[in-house]
Amino acid sequence: MTELNTARTHSLNFAALGRSEPTFELQHETISLEVKNLNLFYDNKQALHNINMHIPKRRVTAYIGPSGCGKSTLLRCFNRMNDLVDDVKITGEILLDGENIYHPAVNVADLRRRIGMVFQKPNPFPKTIYENVAYGLRLQGINTRRILDDVVEKSLKGAALWDEVNNRLHENALGLSGGQQQRLVIARAIAIEPEVLLLDEPASALDPISTLKIEELINELKSDYTIIIVTHNMQQAARVSDYTAFMYLGELIEFGSTTTLFTNPAQKQTEDYITGRYG
Amino acid sequence: MNTTSPNPTLVLSAIYDQATIRRRKWRMIKDKIAQHSMTIGGISVIIAIVLIFFYLLYVVFPLLLPATMEKMQQFSIPAPTAGKTRYLAAEEQNEVGVRFTDQARVVFFKLTDGSVIAEQALPLPAAVTMTQLAIANLSTGVIALGLSDGRALVIKQTYDISYPNGVKVITPGIKYPLGEEPIVVDKVAGTKALRHLAVQLGETTNTLAAITADNRLVLTSVVKEISFLDESVTLKRTDGVLSLLLPPSTQVTHLLLDKPQRFIYVADSEGYISRIDISDKKSPHILERIRVVKAAQAITALKFLTGDISLLVGDSSGKITQWFPARDANNNKTLRQIREFNHQTAPIVDIAIEERRKGFVAADNQGQVGIYHSTAHRTLLVKSVTSGIAIQQIALTPRADRLLVEDEQGRIQLWKIHNEHPEISWSALWSKVWYESYDQPEYIWQSSSASNDFEPKFSLTPLAFGTLKAAFYAMIIATPLAILGAIYTAYFMAAGIRKIVKPTIEIMAALPTVILGFLAGLWLAPMIEANLPGVFLLFLLLPSGVLLFAYGWNRLPRAIRYVIPDGWQSTLLIPILLLITWIAFELSHPLEKGLFNSNLPNWLTTQLGIAFDQRNAIVVGIAMGLAVIPNIFSIAEDAIFSVPKHLTMGSLALGATPWQTMTRVVILTASPGIFSAVMIGMGRAIGETMIVLMATGNTPIMDFSIFQGLRTLAANIAVEMPESEVNSTHYRILFLAGLILFIFTFFFNTIAEIVRHRLRRQYSSL
Repeated sequence: MTELNTARTHSLNFAALGRSEPTFELQHETISLEVKNLNLFYDNKQALHNINMHIPKRRVTAYIGPSGCGKSTLLRCFNRMNDLVDDVKITGEILLDGENIYHPAVNVADLRRRIGMVFQKPNPFPKTIYENVAYGLRLQGINTRRILDDVVEKSLKGAALWDEVNNRLHENALGLSGGQQQRLVIARAIAIEPEVLLLDEPASALDPISTLKIEELINELKSDYTIIIVTHNMQQAARVSDYTAFMYLGELIEFGSTTTLFTNPAQKQTEDYITGRYG
Repeated sequence: MNTTSPNPTLVLSAIYDQATIRRRKWRMIKDKIAQHSMTIGGISVIIAIVLIFFYLLYVVFPLLLPATMEKMQQFSIPAPTAGKTRYLAAEEQNEVGVRFTDQARVVFFKLTDGSVIAEQALPLPAAVTMTQLAIANLSTGVIALGLSDGRALVIKQTYDISYPNGVKVITPGIKYPLGEEPIVVDKVAGTKALRHLAVQLGETTNTLAAITADNRLVLTSVVKEISFLDESVTLKRTDGVLSLLLPPSTQVTHLLLDKPQRFIYVADSEGYISRIDISDKKSPHILERIRVVKAAQAITALKFLTGDISLLVGDSSGKITQWFPARDANNNKTLRQIREFNHQTAPIVDIAIEERRKGFVAADNQGQVGIYHSTAHRTLLVKSVTSGIAIQQIALTPRADRLLVEDEQGRIQLWKIHNEHPEISWSALWSKVWYESYDQPEYIWQSSSASNDFEPKFSLTPLAFGTLKAAFYAMIIATPLAILGAIYTAYFMAAGIRKIVKPTIEIMAALPTVILGFLAGLWLAPMIEANLPGVFLLFLLLPSGVLLFAYGWNRLPRAIRYVIPDGWQSTLLIPILLLITWIAFELSHPLEKGLFNSNLPNWLTTQLGIAFDQRNAIVVGIAMGLAVIPNIFSIAEDAIFSVPKHLTMGSLALGATPWQTMTRVVILTASPGIFSAVMIGMGRAIGETMIVLMATGNTPIMDFSIFQGLRTLAANIAVEMPESEVNSTHYRILFLAGLILFIFTFFFNTIAEIVRHRLRRQYSSL
């Protein structure tokens, strides 16, 4: 019983986290992404059940839920990374600015340029730091040195990495530390100015200090990007997100402003999860 | 905290339980055994490779040794009353020596102690003395004596070996192959003494040439004619005379007649050599007279190198030069200096020729002896043997392992020579060498022949060239196919076909190469020759056909394209490729008829001057390419497939197309692996034996043409090892070829391994 109390104290201690801002109201937000009746099947096994939700623009939306609940799968639906997995069937729609990204005429490469993604494990290419950041631009055929230089600097500054690497831009990116690599990957993602940034447990492979830096970064980035983050760390969700969705066994159980969801969950399952009954 | 976990103290006590301790001990033992046996295995592999390397080195090493000689005996001239030595020789068994004296006496003596075995006077007519002595080809033992009355006596040394009471006894003797009666050589003058004399006895023709006191060349040739009908023998004698027209007061110093009895060489006191054509014995004529020594130098020794093609000229400065007729820039055959040996400083007094190799020994008048080899252009040893006393005569035994030296103070020394492999030098193996009868220096591999006179040509350059050529053409075919195939299989192909394709290609590596070689040599080579236009068409149509089909496929409506699941489209290519192949071969003959005069190989030769071999680089390229593809494919495919998925994902998530991801991230990350695959393929192509042996024609030529055959180092070893005499120079050179191959493949595999290790280190954080 003592454990449960501790968890509850944590989740409720919003004032201590410095998040006592006014409660976000979904109906007042501009909507960036809209999920409509989304079902996903792996090999006839249903992994996502009829998901419907609106993702607000220039806000941080977090997905929480126990392992295997489908939060990462849902995240990968937004930039159609699930297409790369064999035997995946998707029904329903995801609208980006009102257009269905699953329409056959959609160019997947273009879509992914507009919806960037950062993975759980830092995955810099075995190239120089500079070339890693410039990669997305080069893909678009932009090879002008001046433009590249500008974008690389801007992106690295945007990812709060510039001060640490500006004197070794042409060294191999694999020489960076894990936290630096993850920020490099974020710089790489924002270099092509996506509208949405998907973060798939971006700090789970990092030490606490690096995690803190990433979280600060997310806070700064949300002024320019719609950010969707998957995390199984509830404190992190509470710290960084404006809205939180709780998923369980492939279903969206509850979605609302982070403050509401953590302090006053509407569903019993949500309460059980955030108070540590399972997960 | 009400879960039932085992009591911690209980767990601890279980660790010290007797059975557990035994089990843990056993576990340790197993671990140690495994560790040691793996160490032993690894070390044995390294030891085996090092042993192979050292064995090769051990066999090759004697090639590098210089010659040595050691003194065996010294004695004063046997039977000194018989006169001064004019000619010194020894027989094959190194037991009996012989000297012919200026008093026309022959003294046979034991080489071991100089004791006289037999001494006899040659039957000269009354009141006639010997003026000159001529030696025919060394191996025949024929000698001619020029007499003061213008006649000549031809004699032959014989050494009969018998075994009375089981002991070897050599009985020396003298025979008279042209009769005991001297032959009149100089018919004109009749009684004038012969100044110089040369003789050659052939199977049907015997020729005697002499220089008279008034500088005329007189020729006497006897041709044996055997009647077809009754096999009766008639002797036909031809005489010829030629005035040498030498400047006044110039004397002839040396006269040589070659074994085929075609050319006579006359050296004179002015340092010139005249080359005289005597193919028509009646009217010999001078072809040229050229200077062979520097001004103020004189010719002090002149000998044929074995084979009677090259002249060795020793001069008064101690230099020895080699000359033979070769075509000059104006396409005229003239006597040309081929190479020179500058290691002695005193006038050369005598040159002794090796009978069975292109080596020789030169002696000078300050007691120095030099051992040389002409083809290798190698001075193996220069040694003072008489402590400064001038040498008068030297003689080599037929096996060239004993040297007889007679000095001016009447002593004879017997030296033992160790000179196993004079034929090899860096230049003989790798540089152009001017071989006898060739017009310019060339790279040639021609290791053996039936005759002792033959000059072995041990240039490894054409073999190394052939090895690289074969590997090059094989790699040209294998590299793109294997790497592109690997990229497609690893990156684009559906997992279902990949599961079939990869092991299928890998199992191709297990195909015995002798079968590939057999098919290449006996089926593919004639097939390509018969359908050459079709083969070229195929090289053109196959890639363009694939691209065209791919383009057309992408233009098809989605509805049709989606019938084939992603990654399976390549299977549609199979019938297309078969169709293209069929079309190319169907077009072959009409094309040949229409454009190439019905026979492309012939047309290439007659119209373009490109020689065409049936077994050529195309056949090797295809057959060995097929053999190498599985090696390259397998390693490259693994490298590409093991590119971490999160890199591919990262690239795709940034909006890259699969193609961009493949070219910019996957290939880049897999490039060290692909490089190492190519290196290992290269190593395999260089060491491959059976395919090249059967499909190349084994012609050691230096021609990069795709229509010409080649011979590789490996095939050369396989072809020649069975026929080479153990521990001969040839045998050791084959081992040297093996050592080079070993180093080649070791080099390529090491590079591949180093790159792979660097890759592993560099990408360990991926």
